[in-house]
Amino acid sequence: MNQHVLHVKNLNKVYGKKSENQYHALNNVSFDMARGEFVGIMGSSGAGKTTLLNVISTLDSATSGTIEIAGTNITAMKQGQLADFRSEQLGFIFQDFNLLENLTVYENIALPLSLQGVSSKKIKPSVHKVAGKLGIEAILEKYPVTISGGQKQRAAAARALVHEPAMILADEPTGALDSKNAKSLMETLVHLNENLDTSIMLVTHDPLSASYCQRILFIQDGKLFKEIHRKNSRTAFHQEILDVLAEFAE
Amino acid sequence: MLLKLSFSSMRKSFKDYLVLLFGLTISIAIFYMFQTLAQNKAFIESNAMISQIVFIFHVGSFILGAITVFYIFYATSFMLTLRQKEMGMYMTLGAKKGKITQLMFFETFFIGIISLVIGIVIGIGLAMGVAELFMWQLNFSGEGFEAFYISSLTTTVIFYIALFVLTSIVNAWQIGRKSVLNLLRADQKQDQIKTNGLKTFFGVFFALILIGVGYYAMMNMAEFKQFGVILATVTIIPGTYLIFISLLPYFIKKLKQNRSLNEKGINSFTLGQLRFRMLNLTKVLGTVAMLIALGLGAMTAGISFYHNIEIQSSMFHANDVVVHQPDNEDKEILEAIDFTEENVYHYKADGKSVYFLKEDLLNNPPGIKKFTDQFELPKTVRVDKALPDEKYSLYESENASGLPEDWQQALSTELNASYQMFGDKDIFIYSTTAYDKIPTDELQVTLGKVDDFTNYLPHLEKLNEGQLQLAESYRGENVEVVGGKYSNYIAFQAIASGTIFMGLFLGIAFLMMMASVLMFKLLSSAGSDVSRYNMLRKIGVRKGLLVKSIYRELFLLFLFPALVGLVHVLVGMQMFSFIIIEPYAKIWIPISIFLLIYGIYYWITVQMYKRIVLPKEI
Ligand SMILES: Nc1ncnc2c1ncn2[C@@H]1O[C@H](COP(=O)(O)OP(=O)(O)OP(=O)(O)O)[C@@H](O)[C@H]1O
Ligand SMILES: [Mg+2]
Repeated sequence: MNQHVLHVKNLNKVYGKKSENQYHALNNVSFDMARGEFVGIMGSSGAGKTTLLNVISTLDSATSGTIEIAGTNITAMKQGQLADFRSEQLGFIFQDFNLLENLTVYENIALPLSLQGVSSKKIKPSVHKVAGKLGIEAILEKYPVTISGGQKQRAAAARALVHEPAMILADEPTGALDSKNAKSLMETLVHLNENLDTSIMLVTHDPLSASYCQRILFIQDGKLFKEIHRKNSRTAFHQEILDVLAEFAE
Repeated sequence: MLLKLSFSSMRKSFKDYLVLLFGLTISIAIFYMFQTLAQNKAFIESNAMISQIVFIFHVGSFILGAITVFYIFYATSFMLTLRQKEMGMYMTLGAKKGKITQLMFFETFFIGIISLVIGIVIGIGLAMGVAELFMWQLNFSGEGFEAFYISSLTTTVIFYIALFVLTSIVNAWQIGRKSVLNLLRADQKQDQIKTNGLKTFFGVFFALILIGVGYYAMMNMAEFKQFGVILATVTIIPGTYLIFISLLPYFIKKLKQNRSLNEKGINSFTLGQLRFRMLNLTKVLGTVAMLIALGLGAMTAGISFYHNIEIQSSMFHANDVVVHQPDNEDKEILEAIDFTEENVYHYKADGKSVYFLKEDLLNNPPGIKKFTDQFELPKTVRVDKALPDEKYSLYESENASGLPEDWQQALSTELNASYQMFGDKDIFIYSTTAYDKIPTDELQVTLGKVDDFTNYLPHLEKLNEGQLQLAESYRGENVEVVGGKYSNYIAFQAIASGTIFMGLFLGIAFLMMMASVLMFKLLSSAGSDVSRYNMLRKIGVRKGLLVKSIYRELFLLFLFPALVGLVHVLVGMQMFSFIIIEPYAKIWIPISIFLLIYGIYYWITVQMYKRIVLPKEI
């Protein structure tokens, strides 16, 4: 069995048609991610982080290169298969919250389970369990318009986690949270990662959030630029990240 | 500077403006089309069979006007939702409120004027096309009708300019009233409606009372007259809205509360979509139901009047065809007709009288229509009275017996041995001995029955021409009506075709208005659905499932108003029961036509909606 949950090889993404201005957003990116690993992606704005995440998450197509998730080559899959694959294997937390504002928080969180045909009897405990972990039990019956930005972020996280996917892809999940909420979301992710063996890929600007990861990939202008591993304490790792970022700035 | 910005942003959301322009244009075109009839008093009055129809017409025109006002306000408020976020942005960047207000006023007015110009052109074309089509179908000259009618043009222009000034002011005022924050967040708000059992119960209760009163008025239209029309209008319209306002949100809420249904597949989203816009939807659906009722009602009434012509003309004649002394050409035509029964009777005619051979008549007694005392259609019976005497006379005579009543009817109505054919000749029935003594040549008349009279109208028209000439030769004058079922049919048709024309014309106008309102509502809100469908795609909903959700959501929206509208029409046809003999005969024709068109229309809407909201495949 393949030890890698994710295998990316020579990935390229070019925006724009041949005739137009082309923009090389990803340039020969290759890396692996082990099953149950917690990987962070960092880089300056416009470096190609969201692009990388979108391509891996099957939302956008790669220009060239291969991506294997859990042993399946997704670059060769059809539309319908990709949709099923996303709904079963992946969980998303986006940069913008992407809650459906015509559904209550509860219904938003329940949706991935409903889509997989889980009975409503089983849905209820799952939703309450994940909502409890993220501290949003009190707002389950509310509509997204009436809750705060941080609450939306956590509701979106709950929706990504509820069906216990093989891999979670998160784009700046802590971007709109205060430090306390950011910490609790990160701890939930870590908990999920450690106890359920969920692989997590996290895009972030925030060094503190990044310090929860086991490994950080830095990208710059669409290329992998540096990679660091966490060896000991989180605080030390935090410091190490700050050092790399300073190096960037030069 | 701002003006330039606003034009460039209008260009950007061109698709949305197209939807808006389309909605406004159609409304104007239909309003104009309606006015070409409504303003043409001479035409209406000379073509309506009863005064109630003129009155119903005026009420219809009032209802259309009212719906138009609401529709225009609704459509222009869509413009507000399109623009407010950007206007809010300008304001955060330092644009003055007065400037923004002004801008909104001019934008709304500008769009209004453009659609007015296009709408009138389309309206003239529509009025012309629809009128031509029906006049041709109905064989109706439609004298006095004009597709380009100055007075209607003036009314339409004044009405809409006034409306657009008003809506522009309202839009400007709305923009001016809101805080910057409200403008920026405008697209996030939703209609939250609270429903509870008691309120729903009373709502439905009052709605049913109102509709019940209206139905009662329609069923007894013969007694209530014009008051009945007014009563039905002021009860059924609010009743219909109330039904939608109270029942629909409750219904969706109940569906949503059913956990195992709501949490199955994509149902929660489909129902969420419905619930999300319920407040707006209930009003639109109520309007759609009313327009269906009016449009389908007008069309059904028109077709009923049409069908009524045949029933009326069948009331007096048991035989469909009567041909005296057919010449060779007539005989060819008779060959071509597929008779279910055909009889030939012989007679002789001299300068003063016409003599029918008794034995012929007794061997094949003709059928006649017998009226009973009951209020029902007359039945066909065969004459079975014996004729023992030698000679009988249709009119009073000294040397012949009086003819029994049934035979009188058979001769004068069925065999058309009447003044219309023979002028003032006497009509006799002679037995063979007396008949043989008449020195003139023997003549004959053919009587026949067919399955469907209306299938043979061209044949009958030709035969009728021959009969007119024959009658002229007997009567020595110009003859226009010769008698027989066909003559009756033509006479009734002449009376009814104006009314039928108006029914069909208005029916089409109302149904187009309905289509425009519904389509506008659905498409104008589709823009804001794009992100939702995109989101669903991201979390891995298969496209097929999204499409299914769209089909279902729109199906429910199409279903409810159609149901209510149909019930209104079925009851509403009672209004005409005192003038149309069988108002429900062949009602399946207009209803199936409607269902077919409505079905196609549903399908087209789904396709358009799909194209707007479904994310592009990568
Ligand atoms: N749809 C697109 N078409 C063309 N160019 C694009 C598109 N999406 C992104 N880009 C370009 O690709 C580059 C990478 O964008 P990406 O969104 O991946 O950045 P990012 O690393 O996520 O930045 P941020 O931290 O600001 O979110 C940017 O220069 C951007 O302008
Ligand atoms: Mg990004």
